[in-house]
Amino acid sequence: MTQPVEKVLVAFKSVPDPYEAAAPGGSTSTGKCVINPFDEIAIEEALRIRERGEATEIVGVTIGVPAVDEQIRAALAMGVDRAIRIDDSRVLDPYAVARVLRAVVEREAPHVVVMGKQAVDDDSNQVGQMLAGLLGWPQATFVSKIEFLDNRTRARCTRETDAGLEIIEVNLPAVITTDLRLNEPRYVSLPGLMKARKKPIELLTCEELDVNVEPLTTVLSTSRPPKRTPGARVGSVEELVTKLKEEAKVL
Amino acid sequence: MDFAWSDQQRELLDAVSRFAREQLDYDVIENERQAIFNHDAWKKCGNFGVQGLLVPTEYGGLGQDPLTTVAALERLGYACKDNGLLFSINAHMWTAVSPLVFNGTEAQKQKFLPGLCNGTLIGGNAMSEPNSGSDAFALATTAARDGDKYILNGSKIFVTNGPVADVLVVFANVDKSRGADGITAFLVEKGMPGFDPSHKIDKMGVRTSPMAEVFFENCEVPAANLLGKEGGGAFLFTRSMTWERGCILASAVGSMQRLLEKCIRYANERKQGGHSIGKYQLVASKIVDMKLRVESARHMLYHYGWLAGHRKSVYLEAAMTKLHLADAWVKCAEDAIQIHGGYGYMTEYEVERELRDAIGAKLYSGTSEIQRNIIASLIGL
Repeated sequence: MTQPVEKVLVAFKSVPDPYEAAAPGGSTSTGKCVINPFDEIAIEEALRIRERGEATEIVGVTIGVPAVDEQIRAALAMGVDRAIRIDDSRVLDPYAVARVLRAVVEREAPHVVVMGKQAVDDDSNQVGQMLAGLLGWPQATFVSKIEFLDNRTRARCTRETDAGLEIIEVNLPAVITTDLRLNEPRYVSLPGLMKARKKPIELLTCEELDVNVEPLTTVLSTSRPPKRTPGARVGSVEELVTKLKEEAKVL
Repeated sequence: MDFAWSDQQRELLDAVSRFAREQLDYDVIENERQAIFNHDAWKKCGNFGVQGLLVPTEYGGLGQDPLTTVAALERLGYACKDNGLLFSINAHMWTAVSPLVFNGTEAQKQKFLPGLCNGTLIGGNAMSEPNSGSDAFALATTAARDGDKYILNGSKIFVTNGPVADVLVVFANVDKSRGADGITAFLVEKGMPGFDPSHKIDKMGVRTSPMAEVFFENCEVPAANLLGKEGGGAFLFTRSMTWERGCILASAVGSMQRLLEKCIRYANERKQGGHSIGKYQLVASKIVDMKLRVESARHMLYHYGWLAGHRKSVYLEAAMTKLHLADAWVKCAEDAIQIHGGYGYMTEYEVERELRDAIGAKLYSGTSEIQRNIIASLIGL
């Protein structure tokens, strides 16, 4: 089924605005959401692929309640051509999300799927890999550079690994997950936002896609990390060494 | 009375806040010291849609209503510390773009508006002269018809954007015997023979906004660049001034909000005599006054925007908004310095600059005294 890239499917997730959460006195409870920053990089890359003339259509997909239409419009405002929202209010685990996306891929038949390497809310970093596994497609994860080769039937991807940069080639279609240094996403412009209001958002349900989203995992509890105890000032090197030996027991 | 934003307004305003936070929150100190205009930020604003907020979509704008427009400018002022850039954008929007929208011919609109909206063209106006400021219609610059062109002679002072402008709305008199009825507006373009905008003027505040004294020496302007009617300049100017008065300090409301938050943070962090200084009633009281000023300023601004959008008469409200916002901004900036103590007086703390930037608001678009005159005459005095 190797054929040149025409359609790019970009999957994105709506997450609590990390800026609002980090602001003094801010908390995620303000409810303000944004596109997961890694997914925004995936959207930007899809747009650049199209702008280089290497794709003709960018389709966005996300899962969520009507409120996420705001993030969908942000994606459409950046330049995504049309979007699909899987209308579902449940918190889906990564395997369920991957199964939903597989159904969308089978429906849309894109030549490449791009998405962020992980979402900044749950940091699971599993959906891209699971989707590739379910589809039986090659995968390139943590990608910081994408080039299409051989009349757009293969992709050369640079991956960021702990050991350094790894360059791999994958046959297309493939799933590519994006890392931080791939690009710098463009900002949503107001003319883009106006255009986005006229672009279609298609609604689908898990039932319509015939996908079982029963979770494989259960969240037992969530809690804040323990508070850091304040550091102590020592008066001399001797005191430091004694404390390291007797209190910290690291020497 | 409904104070809620519509979903579309909220979405647009959120996009403005994010754009301003991510693209316009740059370091201003050095640019300000050297009086450098940020061309790159201007272009970004154009590309994002700021300059075209109020312009109909068929000319490259966004067709937003005045209330949404002033609220968007407020959000820019909150995140962008470069008051000079915002002053330049305001001068461009209210003294060049809006007269073109209201008085331009179809050909003039097609020629200038798309570029003025998307950031590729910079506009402004030239009204004040060395000997005519508050008495604006006493201007001495002349325009004489010569076939299919006009010949302009005279000089203009305090021309915001003058050194970088591609097009200026210039007011000149075609027949001095007619007084104000001879005043006529022209679109003077960069490079027209006899037009010299190169004499930069240094100033106290909004230093990143370039300003010039401009000269017209037998300056040839094609008759196609006549804006409005011969003798229609005074009306055109009054209309554009009303827009400017109502809107030009929208970004100042954002700036005041930023100052307020900065002062709250500082008053909580700074400890003297064993307490946060915010616990001292004299400091707290100043900050409460700041809060009241910001809120009253915002309400006047939004009310003006609402009235303008509903095609109500806004002549009185524009003058009151301008007067109140200018006073509020200056007082907020002055109090912010006082709350920061010696640090507030130091450039590095970026409070003193706000005061220098704010003071001009009591002078441009009609001094505070002129606004009081207007208000007095409209309330029966």
